[in-house]
Amino acid sequence: MKRQIKANITKILLISTCVIFVGVMLVVPLASVIVYSLREGWQVLAKTVMDQYTIKALQLTLYAAAIAVVFNTVFGLFSSWAITKFRFKGKNFLSTLIDIPFAISPVIAGLIFILIFGRIGWAYDFFNSHDIKVVFAVPGIVLATIFVTFPFVSRELIPLMHAQGTDEEEAAALMGAKGLSVYRRVTLPHIKWGLLYGVILCTARALGEFGAVSVVSGKLRGKTNTLPLHVEQLFQEFHLTASFAAASILVVIAIIILILKNIVEYKGKKEDELHVR
Amino acid sequence: MYVEIKNLSKTFGNFTALDDISVSIEKGTLVGLLGPSGSGKTTILRSIAGLETPDSGDIFIDGKRINDTPAGKRGIGFVFQNYALFRYMTVYDNIAFGLKVQKRDKKYINERVRELISLIGLDGLSGRYPHQLSGGQKQRVAFARALAPNPHLLLLDEPFAAIDAKVRKELRTWLRETISKVGITSIFVTHDQEEAIEVSDRIVLTNQGKIEQVGSPLELYRKPATPFAAKFIGEGTTITGYFQLKGFSQEQGYESALIRPEFTQVFKQGKSLYPHMTNCGVVQSSFFRGNSQELHIDVQGIRIIADYSLEEEAFQIGEPVDVIVSRLFLLGDDQVLAVENQNLKNVNTVVI
Repeated sequence: MKRQIKANITKILLISTCVIFVGVMLVVPLASVIVYSLREGWQVLAKTVMDQYTIKALQLTLYAAAIAVVFNTVFGLFSSWAITKFRFKGKNFLSTLIDIPFAISPVIAGLIFILIFGRIGWAYDFFNSHDIKVVFAVPGIVLATIFVTFPFVSRELIPLMHAQGTDEEEAAALMGAKGLSVYRRVTLPHIKWGLLYGVILCTARALGEFGAVSVVSGKLRGKTNTLPLHVEQLFQEFHLTASFAAASILVVIAIIILILKNIVEYKGKKEDELHVR
Repeated sequence: MYVEIKNLSKTFGNFTALDDISVSIEKGTLVGLLGPSGSGKTTILRSIAGLETPDSGDIFIDGKRINDTPAGKRGIGFVFQNYALFRYMTVYDNIAFGLKVQKRDKKYINERVRELISLIGLDGLSGRYPHQLSGGQKQRVAFARALAPNPHLLLLDEPFAAIDAKVRKELRTWLRETISKVGITSIFVTHDQEEAIEVSDRIVLTNQGKIEQVGSPLELYRKPATPFAAKFIGEGTTITGYFQLKGFSQEQGYESALIRPEFTQVFKQGKSLYPHMTNCGVVQSSFFRGNSQELHIDVQGIRIIADYSLEEEAFQIGEPVDVIVSRLFLLGDDQVLAVENQNLKNVNTVVI
């Protein structure tokens, strides 16, 4: 009896701590963003959201995120395949390298691109002579976004594929199936939910990227401003309501992504319960 | 010879998995690759299958060198230790996989899969997924999947390791019968001597990347070629000072001897019929072994293990007994000498 009461107290304590913490640190601030953006009424919110610069910024953010996600998905599929299904020298090293963007501050990531493609960079002359602007232009933003979100998909897939081992692939290969067919018919069904999950995380991160992009963007309104940068810019200019209104777009996107993530997680789990026992 | 392996070597880093191995396997036989873990048996199997590339040496199947043939084109069926069934496919699709890869027509695939499902006795379960099957059923599906594309050679990696003891015995008998029904040359890997003896026509005994002995289970049991083979197959204890036992004399180059429970006879004190070859011993401990009593006996400092029928009058611990040893395997550096009790031979001549 006593023990049960004790366990109950622990349970209640733990749960309420978590709920209070999440509430104070996450839910209240996010909700206040929306509330604040509505402070001066719907019209102001609508006006800011429909503002051409805001729309441009949103477009650029989506554009950079889309390219980054596609690139990193392809890379994630390849790298996780290579790392988990083959034996080669330097495998651990490679897998550590993939994690660099997790460890490094995004600002440094941005500076790296300035150092390479900027006026002082070693690649500047080449690109300049071909009339391609990388830094303070869209390519730089895309590159920075790719860099920052680089490990998301592969990090999601590597443990999954490790757990699966290579037996099923070997069995398929022994029966004469070719590499791509083995991947499609044996590997992919196993990792599809994990892959989707990784893609969603990668998208969320790409849409919200600030640090690295802020360094390489140049922040030209309507040209190289992404939505997070736009929010900051409005804020710095004391357009508080407008800033929060733009931010609320990001919040809404984040909520949609969260819901998607949960659906994927739920489905993946359900399928796992069916197949992996 | 159907499968012929010549001078095969393979190392993983510092570890020598195979050290210049040569072995040949006849068509239509069921061969057991037996050895302790790390002895190289699985590496042999995986090299034949093409899942491992040997550092040097040749592998021939049906006279053709297949070293450079990719795994998928060797015409080999492989049964994995943990089944490796495709978990996102039904039993039917698992078995049909190899045939679909070969782009056989649908009617043939359907017929062949049905035929195999009934061969493995899983009629009615073709729509199930692997997780809905028991261990034994999974193993049977893995077997059928390997057989589906009509391979020339079937390889099985520890086929019974992941199955609980009771089903294992049943499955062993089933596998042996089914393989002889299908008539396919098969090689299987095991570390369990009982399994190897029961299932295989011939045993290839491996140890530390080398082959110790090749022969029928009975040959390995009766005429072990090396001390390792003598110790690994069957039960036994190694003793020194074997020449103190009556009827045995010291042989040059053989320091110790292996004595099996079946080589010894134990009598109540004074009940032995041949006093001139009877050793005196004392029972140190006894264990109930289900169908017999295992006695540990001290004979002049030599510790001997003997089986004793439960039908006879039981021994007490500390009781003096008479022990007759009929045979011994004398262990040299890398050879084994089987010797009979000399006095026993004399007895026989007298009787004749």
